[in-house]
Amino acid sequence: MSDFLRSYLTVGIFGLIGVALVGVFLGLGKILRPNKPTLAKTEAYESGVEPTGDMWSQANIRYYVFALLFVMFDVEAVFIFPWATRLEAYGTFGLIEMAIFIFILLLGLLYAWRKGVLKWA
Amino acid sequence: MLALLAQEVDFVRPAIDWHAVAPELTLLAFGALVTVMDIVWLERGRRLTSSVASIALLVTMIPIVTLALDGEDRVMFGGAFVVDNYALVMKAMFLVAGYVVVLLSTNYVAEGDYWESEYYGLLLSSILGMVLMASARDLITVFVALELLSIPAYMLATWRKRDLKSNEAGLKYYLMGVFASAIMLYGMSLLYGGAGSTLLADINEAVSVDGSPSAIVVVGVIFVIIGFAFKVSAFPFHTWAPDTYEGAPTPVTAFLSVASKAAGFVALLNLLFVGFFGRDDVYEPLIWILAAASMTVGNLVALRQTNLVRMLAYSGVAQAGYMLAPLAVASDVGDAALTATVTYLLVYAAMNLGAFAIVLAVARKTRSAEIDSFKGLFGYAPGLTIAMSVFLFSLAGIPPLGGWWAKFRVMEAVIEAESASGVVLGVFVAVNSVIALYYYARIGLGMWAEDAPNGDTTPIRVPASLVSALAITAALTIAFGVYPPLVSEFDVTLLAGGLGG
Repeated sequence: MSDFLRSYLTVGIFGLIGVALVGVFLGLGKILRPNKPTLAKTEAYESGVEPTGDMWSQANIRYYVFALLFVMFDVEAVFIFPWATRLEAYGTFGLIEMAIFIFILLLGLLYAWRKGVLKWA
Repeated sequence: MLALLAQEVDFVRPAIDWHAVAPELTLLAFGALVTVMDIVWLERGRRLTSSVASIALLVTMIPIVTLALDGEDRVMFGGAFVVDNYALVMKAMFLVAGYVVVLLSTNYVAEGDYWESEYYGLLLSSILGMVLMASARDLITVFVALELLSIPAYMLATWRKRDLKSNEAGLKYYLMGVFASAIMLYGMSLLYGGAGSTLLADINEAVSVDGSPSAIVVVGVIFVIIGFAFKVSAFPFHTWAPDTYEGAPTPVTAFLSVASKAAGFVALLNLLFVGFFGRDDVYEPLIWILAAASMTVGNLVALRQTNLVRMLAYSGVAQAGYMLAPLAVASDVGDAALTATVTYLLVYAAMNLGAFAIVLAVARKTRSAEIDSFKGLFGYAPGLTIAMSVFLFSLAGIPPLGGWWAKFRVMEAVIEAESASGVVLGVFVAVNSVIALYYYARIGLGMWAEDAPNGDTTPIRVPASLVSALAITAALTIAFGVYPPLVSEFDVTLLAGGLGG
């Protein structure tokens, strides 16, 4: 067997051990613990509050738009952090490049604002 | 790896040849301008956006022309971005095709009240991706260009958002597109792992070793090609095309079937001729099968279609097969294969956009793209009938129209290979051309010889923008066929970034 495949063998063994470990613990628990279900025990746990309503609840579609805007600026941050650590090396060139990048992303935010997406009502 | 990261590397500002990137920057600026217009004026700016988009595409032609006059090959970013004759020809094609699509869209989008500013903004960014693709000689650049051109196209396909079919079109296109991207990225990661570089020229060096290829290279090359086979809708990766074409707004369908398909081919050409050229024992059999299967299945299924847009979708699958054919003998004929495919792409763009322009014009009256609704067209719209016949017979490859010359170049390339596989592929092309003639001619017969359904012969009022789109595409279709040097003057060669610089 080549070294390449041998390293994958390690991954396979590791995965098997993981599955076996979980199986053994859950199985042991199942065998050892007493099983006395009551109504209160079978209810879904919601921080001690009595559960109400159906578990399929609709989320407002507006969250989706906010999530999209969030992702946009999250990705922007991913690019800005490494850039900021080397800003001195990049100099004016880097500053202008990042300004263009932020400008294009900002257009997206301005667009969302003008189209009234940011208003909840 | 950690030692590499910890190393302080002095930053060297990459040299930027502003002339070479001028087309991309112009498109980017105009795309931003469309958004800014929308932000500032909201509804009041909408009427202007289609004009701004067409001006954007025309202005972008200026740096392309000056670069072509300059004639110097330009290489940037260590060979990741190359401007050579081939790139310029393809960029010009994308811009002209984009311009025709804007002409097709103007009335359709305005009358349907279909969010014009967003529409043209997305269209421009998709074209920007295509223009970038023509210069991309690096896996990452290819991928960024591909996503830049695809993501706006997914949204454009769903543009009639209250129409279920349009939603279906966009969703199918999106899911299949993302699936294809994933396969392709996996292939790219394997190639990068083997070559240690994302530059196509370096990958070529790494994969083109003598002897049989390693398993990783085979899988990498095949996965990357399959990713783009989705994009060019080659059999068996064409399943999204008919539904997407039928459901999407017709101007968007025209855009997808011409510009988006051409972009897929440009990427394939870049990869095959720069990245994998020495590994022909891997890609040639694959391309051969894709080409032969695409033309046969596309043509046979097209025979049974009753909807013209679906028929054009399957005919597009078949045409993709013709365009792939020269690539299956690329190692034997070299640049002749490249020229044949590029010629076919140029001619195909003109004739297929023209056919969609007719579908749009006729649908303004009949509100239908069924083949039956074209019956008796000659009785009330002789001009459109003549133009449609030109496009159909060009698609079928009848001289003296452009499609004939394109097919001739393809045949020439596969026969020139002087190999059994080339000749067999040539037979496939010939037999399929005959099959295709049947369904193209059937529409022609209906238009010329039969009576209009319901005896409705009120004339069609064709808006000026559609007339200009028809004029441009018909003129090009005829000119390419009557005076072939117009396209074959571009005997293009692909410059490998970093090698030829």
